Amino acid sequence: MARVLKSLTITSMCALALTACAKTDEPGTAQPAGQQQGPVKIGISLPLTGDFAEPGNGIKDGYQVWADRVNAKGGLLGRKVELIFRDDASDPNRVSSDYESLITQDKVNLVFGPFSSRLVIPAAKVAESYNMLFVEPAGAAKEVFEQGFKRLFYAAPAIASDHYNYLADYLIKLPADQRPKTAAYASLDDPFAQGTAYGLRDKLAAAGIKTVVDEVYPPETTDFSPIAAKIAAAKPDIVVGGTQFEDSVGLVRALQELKVQPKLAAFSTGPTEPEFAAAVKGAAESILSPVGWSATATFTGNQEMIKRHKEMFNGEANEDTANGFTVGQVVEAAVNAAKCVDATKECQDKLADHIRQGTFDTVVGKLSFDDQGRPEQAHMIQQYVGGKVEIVLPEQAKTADLVYPKKPW
Amino acid sequence: MVSLLLQGLALGVLTGGLYALLASGLSLYFGVMRVVMVAHPAFLFLAAYLTYTVHTTLGVDPFLALPVTVPLFFALGVAVQRLLIARLAPDNLAMMSVLLTFGIALTIEGLLGTIYTGSYKSVSMGYATKSLTIGGVHLPYDKIIAFLVAALTLAVLFAVLVKSRFGQALRATIQHREAARLVGIRTERVAGYGFGVGLATAAVGGTVLALITPFFPASHWVWIGKLMAIIVVGGLGSVTGAALAAVLLGVVEGLVLVTVDATWATTMFYVFLFLTLLARPQGFFGGRLAHRF
Repeated sequence: MARVLKSLTITSMCALALTACAKTDEPGTAQPAGQQQGPVKIGISLPLTGDFAEPGNGIKDGYQVWADRVNAKGGLLGRKVELIFRDDASDPNRVSSDYESLITQDKVNLVFGPFSSRLVIPAAKVAESYNMLFVEPAGAAKEVFEQGFKRLFYAAPAIASDHYNYLADYLIKLPADQRPKTAAYASLDDPFAQGTAYGLRDKLAAAGIKTVVDEVYPPETTDFSPIAAKIAAAKPDIVVGGTQFEDSVGLVRALQELKVQPKLAAFSTGPTEPEFAAAVKGAAESILSPVGWSATATFTGNQEMIKRHKEMFNGEANEDTANGFTVGQVVEAAVNAAKCVDATKECQDKLADHIRQGTFDTVVGKLSFDDQGRPEQAHMIQQYVGGKVEIVLPEQAKTADLVYPKKPW
Repeated sequence: MVSLLLQGLALGVLTGGLYALLASGLSLYFGVMRVVMVAHPAFLFLAAYLTYTVHTTLGVDPFLALPVTVPLFFALGVAVQRLLIARLAPDNLAMMSVLLTFGIALTIEGLLGTIYTGSYKSVSMGYATKSLTIGGVHLPYDKIIAFLVAALTLAVLFAVLVKSRFGQALRATIQHREAARLVGIRTERVAGYGFGVGLATAAVGGTVLALITPFFPASHWVWIGKLMAIIVVGGLGSVTGAALAAVLLGVVEGLVLVTVDATWATTMFYVFLFLTLLARPQGFFGGRLAHRF
């Protein structure tokens, strides 16, 4: 008992001493009542290792570039921004405990979302339970918006099923003799990847373009030849892949090997990564992808972000960087408008209300959100034309004409 | 439909050959040392990365990396066995080896991430996306090459195991360690070399993988389940069993893929695993658990 008392005394003395230190360390800077001292802490868990390590690190870069830009301008409401990163290793259980501890232990002022719908849903549940605003860079599957979250916003131009909208319109409007009649779909068993492919499938099917192959493969699939064999047997006019990087490469190679020559080939994620062209060599030519961001666009802060990213990381910014940066831009605008940045329910509600009603100028264009936090815009469509990535749809953003039918691969 | 089945069958056989190569090392470790080597796929991708480096810096065909990676991996295997595995307590070797090699796998993954970053790497050769067409059935060259390399490697492995003195010593060690020691075999040294041979097959397997699939540091996790299923179905420790099970499962996978769908095809590995454990826990091709080739 005596020992317990003694240790209690020591602990409380230390605690008192620490409080005193904290106070004396930061003299001056009087803050408005109810606000904490020190930097604005933003808690983020990202898949820095594991399945989603590549996009996870891209988004981390985007967050860092944004924080650097904000701090260069004097911070959020005059306070420096400090990002606290956790690595959830692409594990939905770890992402939950990460946000739990960021909010309760690190006492962050704000949280930003992780990558992938699979991690966004468990993470947003935690944020919601602490009444925290949850703006996320990569949770586009429709399930994300069906959980009844009140403070979740997806800071990108469109949800998964709207990614191919411009392409669907283009194909449906083609003259009857050029219009494709049959289509093959192969998709990774992942809500986002499936969402993109099925958005296009449903629109084309409604317009009378017949679905002849509709395959779903699990993430551990390593061999795509038999799927390609099925597609080869059906001889479709167009091939659409709901893909991530590895499987987009696997499918393109397998389709090439099995001599499938469709009039159009579109893959969701994969062709948008800089490594894609090297991985499939010349086969990249004419491949289409929906893309939420373009390095050539002149949207608010885009060229500045690209330049600063190059200085900080000595590499090219990509869509993931832009998605992370966009989250920062949206939250920054909300904080400046609501004039508060603390973890209380009142402040977080004010921020969420502002985001629900406002329109935001970001590196991916103007963004606005519906009641469930879905963005209300659509993705651009890119294509490899003459070895270069060009924006081919929509009309007002295009840098080149869409090539159709595609060149053989 | 018939041509689709033939296509599925042909692809299944070719892929099965690759599986046989990838699983052979795993079977060997278990046979010689009762070691469950969870890090085997991580070593496969370590080899894939080394192949990538050799290919991109010297601009040579990926297979020319083999004279570098095979001896390197053999030495690495001997070192891993001598410095780490040999120190595990013999009574719970199988379990502790899982933990130890799990740690090794994570270490390799971390190192690859640090050195090569998390982005995808790939080795694309012109010949890897063409195919040979026989009677309407397309045989991709990369798969044919993988199959031939696997067949050649396994043939060499068998020749070593059956013909050479080292192979005989290794098999004696597998059959009865104490007896082997009594007749003068230095079982510790043999076990180390056995581990080296296992990792040398990983060097070959990794080169083939680099040629047919893009990879990133965490790529190895999807392989461990498949390869484990193969060596259990084949009979733990039986290299022949692993090879036969690999081709069988490759064919089943290929046929299920073209007739049903990809999710079922992947599930077949685990269906076979469970059936094997229920009906014949020692595996279908091996004899007594882990006591034969």
